[in-house]
Amino acid sequence: MVEITGNAPVPVPATRARRRLRLPDGAALRVALRLLSLAVVVAIWWIVAALDVWPDLFVPSPADVWDRFVESVTVHDGRVGLSDAYLWEHLGASLWRIGNGLFFAILFGVPLGLLLATVRPFQVIAEPYVNFVRALPPLAYFSLLIIWFGIEDTSKIWLLFLASFPPIALSVVSGVRGIPQTRLDAARALGAGRLQLLRHVVVPSVLPEFFTGLRLAIGFAWTTIVAAETVDGLPGIGGLAWSTKKFQQTDVAVLCIIVIGLAAILLDQLVKAVERLVVPWRGRA
Amino acid sequence: MTATGAIPATAPTGPSGAAQRHRVALHGVTHVYAGRGGDVLALDHVDLVIEPGEFVSVVGPSGCGKSTLLGLIAGFHRPTRGRVTLGDEEIRGPGPDRGVVFQQPNLYPWMSVRENVALGPRLRHVRRAQRRAIADRLLALVGLAEFADHATYELSGGMQQRCQIARALANDPEILLMDEPFGALDALTRERMQDELLTIWRDAGQTVLFITHSVEEALYLGTRVLVMSPRPGRIVLDQPVPFPPHERDRALREHPEFVALRARIGRELGLA
Ligand SMILES: Nc1ncnc2c1ncn2[C@@H]1O[C@H](COP(=O)(O)OP(=O)(O)O)[C@@H](O)[C@H]1O
Ligand SMILES: [Mg+2]
Repeated sequence: MVEITGNAPVPVPATRARRRLRLPDGAALRVALRLLSLAVVVAIWWIVAALDVWPDLFVPSPADVWDRFVESVTVHDGRVGLSDAYLWEHLGASLWRIGNGLFFAILFGVPLGLLLATVRPFQVIAEPYVNFVRALPPLAYFSLLIIWFGIEDTSKIWLLFLASFPPIALSVVSGVRGIPQTRLDAARALGAGRLQLLRHVVVPSVLPEFFTGLRLAIGFAWTTIVAAETVDGLPGIGGLAWSTKKFQQTDVAVLCIIVIGLAAILLDQLVKAVERLVVPWRGRA
Repeated sequence: MTATGAIPATAPTGPSGAAQRHRVALHGVTHVYAGRGGDVLALDHVDLVIEPGEFVSVVGPSGCGKSTLLGLIAGFHRPTRGRVTLGDEEIRGPGPDRGVVFQQPNLYPWMSVRENVALGPRLRHVRRAQRRAIADRLLALVGLAEFADHATYELSGGMQQRCQIARALANDPEILLMDEPFGALDALTRERMQDELLTIWRDAGQTVLFITHSVEEALYLGTRVLVMSPRPGRIVLDQPVPFPPHERDRALREHPEFVALRARIGRELGLA
């Protein structure tokens, strides 16, 4: 799962800078600790599986999972990967759907948030609906989406879109509301009209909160992807995980869990890096 | 009330030559804030005329309506009763003819120091090369030329305030409205900034309205000091300051007349 709690609103730059200054031993120590803990976890897993306390079906061994991983990236017995696709094709299909869902969530969520925050009557009318959609578990409306948009990618992208636009829109709303009045007044006193204020002050001011919302949205997209791929989800990493229940391939399920977890963490790191590039002033001004 | 304060020895000339300056006036202005806990009468029947080229300091207890007065001239609020005018025109909203410097550094961190200063001209669609020239000239004026390409959060508090002043001057406003601009600075930086502001005022020739809670600062800078009563704010003393601008230096603070005026204003504020 995406580590969204790590995004506490106070990334204190001073301590970060200080930590970076004594980076050599500090960073090396951190990496070493993490590798060590990983080794311990795998070792415990290995031992528990080897002791045969529980049947293999309950606790697949690391070796089994590794074998499935090798199968997933090779041709074996004349068959391609797992469920007729390589692992990266499964992952790629899911990322494609998530990417599309997020694309439309941003395209719709950002203007929606700006409108909600700046046009009072619009907010009165529309905000309850946004909160309503946000409160719904995505699976509740998935069957409707399938009937409307078919079982292929369109309904899945709709599902991901609906799950991820509310946090984006609402973070933009809170970003706009958090702009100090003097920050707006300064630009108005320099001669900014309404649209100039939006472009030169409101939008850049909202960027930090937008990224918070985006990372939240990506988290929701990952939780939703398995649900989205329960119907005609192959290839797809969620679909692959879901398909294991039929033949009780728990080793494949564990492989999918690991892949999804790693992909989610990497994507989150990527967004964080983009954020540092786009919002270098976060926490500093 | 008309200007009784000393007119600067050197005739004010704007950076773009002899810009036409107008007087700012408040005519019977009352301002009421509608708050949750009832209405707040912030200003009560204030009459005031600020002549072009004056440096008007305003002192008064906290919460007496100083920022409200400034906000009315800036156009951030409309008066509940009365009129606020610039020349013959009624002020109906904020505009580039009135520059504002806030107490808190209020720069935009997504813009470089130069881009911040050039923002006013940019909003008025001044061409890129020209607004860059304006920004660089003002950055030199406030001593920030070397920092033009820096990020705003790399500047110290005093430098950020200088940058704010440069940004407000970039529109060549008729009046510079400053709301406790040095209030958050340490004593040493503050004194240096006061001298720099005097230099800028002599060179650029803007009319200045300067809010402070320091009587000494008000006297040192102003050609005229207004003292306000506790809320609801009224102007209870309109004190001309006789020292010529070019004689304002460290020694002035010990000058007997300066000390006497400081005591007089302090008494009016109920400090002495
Ligand atoms: N937006 C507002 N809403 C309600 N009351 C306000 C508002 N702004 C200021 N006030 C009140 O008006 C009075 C004058 O405020 P202000 O002009 O900021 O005083 P000063 O700048 O002299 O400290 C204060 O009592 C303050 O609480
Ligand atoms: Mg104030």
